[in-house]
Amino acid sequence: MDRETNRPKKLGFRPSKAPNPSPSSSSPVRLRPREEAKRDSTSSIHERRNPVLDEDEETGSPIFSYLVGTCPDMCPAKERQQRERLRDLSVFERLHGDPSRTSPKLAVKKFCRTMSNAELQEVEIRPLPVLRSTLKYLMNLVDTSDQPFEVVHDFVFDRTRSIRQDLTRQNILDDEAICMYEEMVKFHIESHKKLAMCYTKTDLASLCYLNTEQLMKCLATLFKLYDIHRRSSSLHKNEAEFYSFYVLLHLGGKIPQMGSSLSLWYRKLTLSILQSNEMRFSMTLIRYSRLGNFKRFFTRLEAEASDLQLCLVEPFLSEIRARAISYVNHSGYKLQPYPLKHLSDVLRIKESELEELCHVCGLETTMDEAGMKTLPVKQTSFSLPKLGLPVHSLSTF
Amino acid sequence: MAYLSMGEAHRRITDYLSRFCDAVSSQDAATLSALLAISSNFASLQAPADALNVFQDSNQLVNQVERYAQFAEILSPLLRCLQSYRLGRYSDAYVAFEKAANAFLQEFRNWETAWAMEAVYILALEIRLLAEKADRELSSSGKNTEKLQGAGSFLMKIFGALAGKGPKRVGALYVACQLFKVYFKLGTVHLCRSVIRSIETARLFDLDEFPVKDKVTYMYYTGRLEVYNENFTVADQKLTYALMHCSPNKEANKRMILKYLIPVKLSIGILPKQWLLEKYNLMEYNEVVKALKTGDLRLLRRALREHEDRFLRSGVYLVLEKLELQVYQRLMKKIYVLQKQKDPSKAHQLKIETAVKALNWLGMDMDMDEAECIMAILIFKNLTKGYISHKNKVVVLSKQDPFPKLNGKPVSS
Repeated sequence: MDRETNRPKKLGFRPSKAPNPSPSSSSPVRLRPREEAKRDSTSSIHERRNPVLDEDEETGSPIFSYLVGTCPDMCPAKERQQRERLRDLSVFERLHGDPSRTSPKLAVKKFCRTMSNAELQEVEIRPLPVLRSTLKYLMNLVDTSDQPFEVVHDFVFDRTRSIRQDLTRQNILDDEAICMYEEMVKFHIESHKKLAMCYTKTDLASLCYLNTEQLMKCLATLFKLYDIHRRSSSLHKNEAEFYSFYVLLHLGGKIPQMGSSLSLWYRKLTLSILQSNEMRFSMTLIRYSRLGNFKRFFTRLEAEASDLQLCLVEPFLSEIRARAISYVNHSGYKLQPYPLKHLSDVLRIKESELEELCHVCGLETTMDEAGMKTLPVKQTSFSLPKLGLPVHSLSTF
Repeated sequence: MAYLSMGEAHRRITDYLSRFCDAVSSQDAATLSALLAISSNFASLQAPADALNVFQDSNQLVNQVERYAQFAEILSPLLRCLQSYRLGRYSDAYVAFEKAANAFLQEFRNWETAWAMEAVYILALEIRLLAEKADRELSSSGKNTEKLQGAGSFLMKIFGALAGKGPKRVGALYVACQLFKVYFKLGTVHLCRSVIRSIETARLFDLDEFPVKDKVTYMYYTGRLEVYNENFTVADQKLTYALMHCSPNKEANKRMILKYLIPVKLSIGILPKQWLLEKYNLMEYNEVVKALKTGDLRLLRRALREHEDRFLRSGVYLVLEKLELQVYQRLMKKIYVLQKQKDPSKAHQLKIETAVKALNWLGMDMDMDEAECIMAILIFKNLTKGYISHKNKVVVLSKQDPFPKLNGKPVSS
């Protein structure tokens, strides 16, 4: 079988571990389909899976050779024309609202799982400067678009995935890549909160799940990039905070399993990360949550969380508060209904929102003689609703 | 190195090749195994290895003689491996060994009986050891380490060859354990799941048919996984089995098992004796045990801080953190007992303020809200029986057994 890969003349040579390829004509670089699960150690060293950036290793994406892109636009011309023909244009890509016309300034390359034996040309891969500006464009769209958030999210979710794909294909592993991955993680964290806020929509649960899944994939790759960065210098300036995000995700009950427990994940971390303030903070929050010490949980959260950390944690707060309510309901004195005002202080939530939360969990609330809202205890009707809980932010006092 | 003549070199190599072929034809697994144990560095392997650096054309030698040629796919790379290993080129040695091992596995599949099982064990062991050495070599020269991953794939192949009906099944557990070691080292522990499923739930195997020492290793690794997933009852069963059936003279292995069994036992309310910790050099648990005995929260926190790195590396940190609830329970019980001594009629009423004072005295910064919070969770988890009057700021304890012991059961979720 012909295993030759030709590397046409490149702009911006991306150094790889392969020795200098022979000069050649500009024929397209072939993608090799995955032949076997096992890596054949005798195959050409041009052909190998990217061990660092390949996010989809479980699904078995093809083995690439490292390419260097030359596409000047956010979307390669060939794809633009094809999607115009097929009228496969997102609302953001339509020129004057026309579903069959787009422009280089509007079209953004889609994510697609490459099939076997596809031929990919350099001109279809975007080089780093273009990827940077594409990401900037997308992030700006999130901030400025009038479209409903789920629509924006869906578009940006897909198009950023494609950016990551192009980064992988070109084996871009440096500070630039780190910057871009951090941006994308931020997007997913902010989306995580925004999506959770509209909890009443039924399909939102799967949207949230998919978003969290992408968030975790981004984080996993980002951590590998940080590892590489650490070989030649010290901790990256944001490294500790981004590691803390992974820990904080475990406050949520239903996150996609990355395959191993938090205990196993801690084993692999270096001391410098474990001892950082951000990691200490997140590990302590996990401890308070697991122990049920909701008093400390909320005071610590309020005192130390960064904006992004708070953004990530807020959708999980309802479940934590619901648990706290169940503890109070279980351990209280049945002749003395519990004052909601006090509980709302401790749980850092507005009294009206706490009342709503009690009701959603099947508990009644009453009023005492002084007109204060209370929770009668020892109710047996407590249950966590299947559809999820309303999201209430952290109320500071 | 003393001067090696061409003739002598030739003789050594053919000697090795002959021994291999003789071993196969006489079904002598022991000899065969010795020939494959590359990293053991036996003198009997060093000799031909040295010879290979003198006599360069071993391939031709293999192919020219018919009885060697039939195993050329195994022998040629095997010789290459010997040579590379001797020269300290571990990455090359691994690559060659993998080739030889693959070819050997093919032959093994064709042999009807399991006579060569011992050799397959060596294969499984060596592929991992050589991969580890190779990855160390790669890592120190800044390259990507991928050999151990490859070894994992190959081990799955061996596992596949052994799974199924027939006498070869007896080796499956050994290979499974090698896989566990690889996955634990690589940090891809989730891949253990499919192996465990094949062994336990696919009903292909009856655990009793495996050698005890393999079962001990298997229980050790699967027990550890249960600890990480906080399934304490199952973890207790598995790790206890491993401990009970571990060879009496394997002190180091017992220590490894105890390292994980102790946190499990602590989580179900069973405390090890001091002499056990001393005997097996596990004194990092000493203060944890003391804290549980005395209700000294400060001591627990200090112990976790002091040995944090060690506990995080072994993966028991989160398990030990959870012991805090049991320490709180102990402290509350102490207060209750003291109160009972002073005034039995009022003992069952524990003022929250008293708990706060006790904890402050221990150096812990605590307020009424937090103390109430802790009491609520103790009651919820059945570590305390009673109720809290928020209005009167008092915990009213049950008159009967207000602080039930765990008695071998984990704290309820």
